[in-house]
Amino acid sequence: MKRLIALSLALVLSLSLFAGCAKEEESKTMTLFTWEGMFPQEVLDGFTEETGIEINYVNFDFDETMLAKLEAAEGGEYDLIIADDYIIETAIAQGLVQKLDKNSIKNVGNVNPFYQGQFFDPNNEYTVPYGAGVMALAYNPANVEKEITSYEDLWDASLSEKIGVVGNYRVVNGMALKTMGESYNTNDVAVIEEAGAKMLELAPNIRLIKDDNIQDDLVSGEIDVAVMYTSQVTLAMLANPDLKVVFPEEGFGFGIMAQFIPSKAPNAANAHKFIDYILQPEISKQCYEWMGYYCTNAKADSLIEDAYKSFLTLPADVDASSAEMIQNISAEADAAHTKVWTEFKAACGQ
Amino acid sequence: MKNKKTSKISLAMLAPIYIFTIIFVALPLVYMFLLSFLKQAESWGVIYEFTLKNYLDILEPIYLTTFVESFKLAVITTLLVVIIGYPFGYFMAKLSAKWRGRMMLLLMVPFWTNSLIRLYGWIIIFRANGPLDKILMFFGITQEPLKLLYTYPAVVVGMVYALVPFMILAVFSSVEKMDWSLVEASRDLGATSFEAFRTVTLPLTLPGLLSGIILTFVPSMGLFFIADILGGNKVVLVGNVIQEQLMKAHNWPFAAALAVILMLMTSILIYTYRKITKVNELEGIL
Repeated sequence: MKRLIALSLALVLSLSLFAGCAKEEESKTMTLFTWEGMFPQEVLDGFTEETGIEINYVNFDFDETMLAKLEAAEGGEYDLIIADDYIIETAIAQGLVQKLDKNSIKNVGNVNPFYQGQFFDPNNEYTVPYGAGVMALAYNPANVEKEITSYEDLWDASLSEKIGVVGNYRVVNGMALKTMGESYNTNDVAVIEEAGAKMLELAPNIRLIKDDNIQDDLVSGEIDVAVMYTSQVTLAMLANPDLKVVFPEEGFGFGIMAQFIPSKAPNAANAHKFIDYILQPEISKQCYEWMGYYCTNAKADSLIEDAYKSFLTLPADVDASSAEMIQNISAEADAAHTKVWTEFKAACGQ
Repeated sequence: MKNKKTSKISLAMLAPIYIFTIIFVALPLVYMFLLSFLKQAESWGVIYEFTLKNYLDILEPIYLTTFVESFKLAVITTLLVVIIGYPFGYFMAKLSAKWRGRMMLLLMVPFWTNSLIRLYGWIIIFRANGPLDKILMFFGITQEPLKLLYTYPAVVVGMVYALVPFMILAVFSSVEKMDWSLVEASRDLGATSFEAFRTVTLPLTLPGLLSGIILTFVPSMGLFFIADILGGNKVVLVGNVIQEQLMKAHNWPFAAALAVILMLMTSILIYTYRKITKVNELEGIL
């Protein structure tokens, strides 16, 4: 037994030596750190085939976990990270992100300008977007008599117990803010509380609040109207193409998932190659159709299959000024939001 | 001399338990307690500055309501669990050894599956046009699909389902150990079967019942995912608020303060309950 332990210890030791060697060479690997299921396998394989760079795909569940791990690694360990806008703002502020070498990304011009210059990276120095989520309203016209065109319509008495919303208080309280002509990102506590009062009037129409798989409830008929994330709209539309997707008249909220290279990435050059590779229109098309988020590559828009177009590309007549990103707000405003939200949820249960 | 040696040895034997308890129980509690007095940073993390704000925030009516809601749901759940679990455990203990083993197996089998997956099973049963609706409509009890899912009763069913095995096992073990000759003696002395139960069986199985109640009541104060999944998030419990403050609002100090109050409340309840029932020994726990 002792011998066996000694042997396995020796084995582990020698293996770790090899691991050390691999790091020395390093130019042929890249550690990609993002959520699970962000790329079709063909795209990852295609990249390895073309460049000879092996991708080490590491997952996280939440943006916050990502930031905690990146902090622990002091901006090293990972070569390319894809995460949500607001957390990137924090990461940049903490000096954990390096500026991109735009000269080595020749396809960078393909990015849709609509998604550029946003709050988390106003000069596009640190990030390249990899997809956007739009807060969409979808409903089943077969079970809803009223034609829904705006958030205000959700307050209609005919929708009693018919609506499902995601469990994101900034988004849901934001609907009330929008109907009041306010910004999603207001820091004015009085305005947030006023929105909260309006939310209480919406409560009788709410059947359920949940983040995961809310599209199933829309498809199965448990609810007839849903306020949900883009990937969920995609799944719902694929299951029932008769559903209608609405860009609310009051304007809509959206978020961006972007790629960035940590400040001490061991293989930054490979990460640049990867960013460039997936910006090719045909590759982008594959990615967006597979993952079901809005296409941020303007050159890929025209390639997206018709069946996906209505929910992966922005409508041609979209008014940029009516779209607003959901950003970090003050702790005080955030506390007001969570309080209003808890009141709203409790009212829904009455 | 000899005594000293034994005490050293027994200390060494007990050390792992103490170390384990300190690292995995005491330290996290201390951490949580300290955290509840700190300030939330603007976007990320905490500021090391003493404040009572987190506790004052709990006094907001809406957060007090969530405590009341949690308490209400816990009481309803525990009552139902007692009503179902006590007779179940009692009769199970009176089965023959062969059937007892089989019942035990049936009780244990669901635990081999993740509790979340079992709850999703309830969603399938409850949903519109699901099996329950079909059965009710087949027998003409209802005419059209009911809205069973995402309601308060659905949450109660889920809670009772998740917690009833603990009651059954606790009652079972204390009934099994009971000396039946005492019941026989009381019957010989003229007690009716109900009197025998009330004056002999019940007091003797009270420790089992009480630990069953505690095993049910304490978790049901904190269980939040059942209200999430079966209640469509509309039943707001303290557990839900804590989870949301941690995962979405990133207000760790406030979440810690809520958790401290929840633990205090539960501890006081257990203490008073034990004082009232005068049971000091609990079956299986504490």
